[in-house]
Amino acid sequence: MTPPILSVTRLRTSFHNDGIWTPVVRDISFDVAPKTTVAIVGESGSGKSMTALSIMRLLPGGNSKVEGRIALAGRSLLDLPEKEMRSVRGNEIAMIFQEPMTSLNPSLTIGFQIVEALICHRNMSRAEAEAEVIRLLERVRIPSAKARFNDYPHRLSGGMRQRVMIAMALACKPKLLIADEPTTALDVTIQAQILELIRDLQEEEGMAVLFITHDMGVVAEIADRTIVMLRGDLVESGDTADIFNNPQHVYTRSLLSAVPKLGSMTGKARPLRFPVVDQKTGIAAEPPAGFDTISIARPILEVKNLTKYFDIRKGVLRGLAGRVHAVENISFSIHRGETLALVGESGCGKSTTGRSIVRLTEPTSGSIQLAGEDILNTGKSSFRDTRKRMQMIFQDPYASLNPRMRIGESIAEPMIAHATETPKRARERVGELLKSVGLSAEIYDRYPHEFSGGQRQRICIARALSLGPELIVADEAVSALDVSIKAQVINLMLDLQERLKLAFLFISHDMAVVERISHRVAVMYLGEIVEIGSRASVFGNPQHPYTKRLLSAVPIPDPGLRVSKKRLVNDELKSPIRALDYQVPVRPFKQVGPNHMVQEWGAEWA
Amino acid sequence: MSAVASVQKSPFSRQLSKFTRNRAAVAGAVIVGLFVALAIFAPLIAPYDPFQTSFTTVRKPPSVRFWLGTDELGRDIFSRMIYGARASLMAGGVSVVIAVIVGVPFGLLAGYFGGWIDSIISRLIDAMLAIPFLILAISLAAFLGASLTNAMIAIGLSAAPIFARLTRGQVLSVKAEEYVEAAHVIGLRHTRIILHYILPNSIPPVIVQATLTIAAAIIAEASLSFLGLGQQPPNPSWGSMLNTAKNFISQAPWMSLWPGAAIFLAVLGFNLLGDGLRDAIDPREY
Repeated sequence: MTPPILSVTRLRTSFHNDGIWTPVVRDISFDVAPKTTVAIVGESGSGKSMTALSIMRLLPGGNSKVEGRIALAGRSLLDLPEKEMRSVRGNEIAMIFQEPMTSLNPSLTIGFQIVEALICHRNMSRAEAEAEVIRLLERVRIPSAKARFNDYPHRLSGGMRQRVMIAMALACKPKLLIADEPTTALDVTIQAQILELIRDLQEEEGMAVLFITHDMGVVAEIADRTIVMLRGDLVESGDTADIFNNPQHVYTRSLLSAVPKLGSMTGKARPLRFPVVDQKTGIAAEPPAGFDTISIARPILEVKNLTKYFDIRKGVLRGLAGRVHAVENISFSIHRGETLALVGESGCGKSTTGRSIVRLTEPTSGSIQLAGEDILNTGKSSFRDTRKRMQMIFQDPYASLNPRMRIGESIAEPMIAHATETPKRARERVGELLKSVGLSAEIYDRYPHEFSGGQRQRICIARALSLGPELIVADEAVSALDVSIKAQVINLMLDLQERLKLAFLFISHDMAVVERISHRVAVMYLGEIVEIGSRASVFGNPQHPYTKRLLSAVPIPDPGLRVSKKRLVNDELKSPIRALDYQVPVRPFKQVGPNHMVQEWGAEWA
Repeated sequence: MSAVASVQKSPFSRQLSKFTRNRAAVAGAVIVGLFVALAIFAPLIAPYDPFQTSFTTVRKPPSVRFWLGTDELGRDIFSRMIYGARASLMAGGVSVVIAVIVGVPFGLLAGYFGGWIDSIISRLIDAMLAIPFLILAISLAAFLGASLTNAMIAIGLSAAPIFARLTRGQVLSVKAEEYVEAAHVIGLRHTRIILHYILPNSIPPVIVQATLTIAAAIIAEASLSFLGLGQQPPNPSWGSMLNTAKNFISQAPWMSLWPGAAIFLAVLGFNLLGDGLRDAIDPREY
């Protein structure tokens, strides 16, 4: 057996807080062998990022301390003087981060930024370095690398920027690459491309990779060995296939059962709750089958030919330079008790659609009817009444509650504003609402910062329910939550749907979650709905090439299936920015099955 | 780093502990506290009546009897300084309150509604900021007439555009927060959103700016009084004391030394306090 590249023994990282040292990583040990990928997986607060920062010695000096032993190819990193450590960073260990949008200097060209790294670390002349950079950009599969050399970061999409970051990390041929959630901020199709790139580069360069993620699907795609962390402790480590097939620890088991798996819903007609794992026995209880919630009367929401353009203005006189065709002529309807999922990647117009329905943005044209009432042409005062019938849940539970208001007041706010309850009754109602979302009525007087992300999202749901709405627009409502919390919140949403016959417009980019929760699915691409139909037929029999691409890019949490996946095309989402004289092409829909429509696609998909 | 912040402290208690760890800020708070105490308890602390003139003790240098010396009418400078603190601190405080009351609502309106309302208010702010603060205050005070009240109004109005612009910027960023959008979706009225959602979340930087502006206002009051546009004789203020002292600067240098030092110390105190507050509420650093 070859000696490991990185060997971590009894690593303990603590932070100084109010006079006491609180450990955030507790005595963890693991090895990374050459040419292997080790994944550290855990939910927020598990200490996985702290482990990476401890290895790089990037934690702030004064109020943190790192104990134990970290050896890189036999050399103890914790004993090195800071000057030598600086040459280890970048040269021997490289790191890529989560946010590709902010980790490049926006005022320098991408070529210049990598050239700098090469001149500094590898003592190359500028001409040599420039040639090497173009080679590197090609290595990370950036199309027409030579032309991209002089581009500024803002000209590149998130996926392309992450490629540039990887190129920069590879510049000095590191022995170890630490990747801290490198694909979390990216779309699924881009994520799949980046994962494939990291895998290919690892084979070519023979480096070891330490991959930090919260996503079990990504782990299954990429890791040889897996380490599971929980609140600073290492709870389980081993071969990735073993961990997935035969998890030992209760936490690993509950983590795996909460992971949405694409394809697990085949043959099931209705949305299904996630199985709940008993924390003591570790046995997953089968979820109860859902009831039929849909009422076939007139749809609660009917959207017809909805269109939203954003003007782009340029120059001193703010002349109209173009338009963003955010939403292009889309139509759909939702019945009472039904969940329609709107899926697509960033920039496809799904959020704009949701925001238009609750009138956070005014659509350019089209009609929206809520229970037969045209809400785009109602006056301000009657629209305030309409608001009671539809509510919205937002993506970021940390940002969607007023930090200076008690949470009870936040929940009571809608009832008092619409005078549906007296302030005294409202307080009782808040207690009932809190109970119905699985929280205690006692927390009325507390402030949002005292709660975790999952609890806050429950509070937001309680607030949305306070007026007894019939439709809830959930804009990426579970995307920011940890896997196990995500499963709980989705189960809650399904419970509420069953009890209150709620209709959901569930806006999401996460195909696996969508498969679980929705009755019908609409796939959006560049502002248009390209395919709409029942969940079973869209997932079981996708027609449009984009739907197929989206489905094939979803990581499958099963390491056994890794080899069978086909290669992906290396291209980008196109931009919905159009010239002023752009003629919207007419693309007719064709029926491919009962309740399943697909837009006819042009030659660009051939 | 969410892992580090696992101890969920309220923003306020975190800011407080950050503030108390900053020695300069605590020193500023102590200086300001001392001056405020002097001003409040002036009758108890002052050894002499500040208006009591005496021809036998004209322009005496500091001594055991008159700690800081006496002025051209034989009044005790130490007592006048203590009473002067009242005028100076009040001028600083009241004019900043005026500035906040006038400036913040304009900033709220401009930032929240945007569009033509914002254009008009912003151009007005730009126009006022184009004139230097002190010159604007002096011309306004001259226009209103010489008195301490008018000086405070003049200083307050001159400082208002700073607050309007600061508030506007804050509102623009708070307005984009999801909880404000959530408030729209709930169907709240604009007034309620502005007062309960936008205002409380925009105000912390305004408080910091107010502390720093008190320092500027104390200087402005001293300058106006020095020019005879502020506190009128025989009432003492540090600026008016300097004004009379300038005639005797070679014969009785102590007459100008003490009020100058007091202005310096008070301004230093408010600046340190404001800087400390600003660092404490900045969420980016610990």
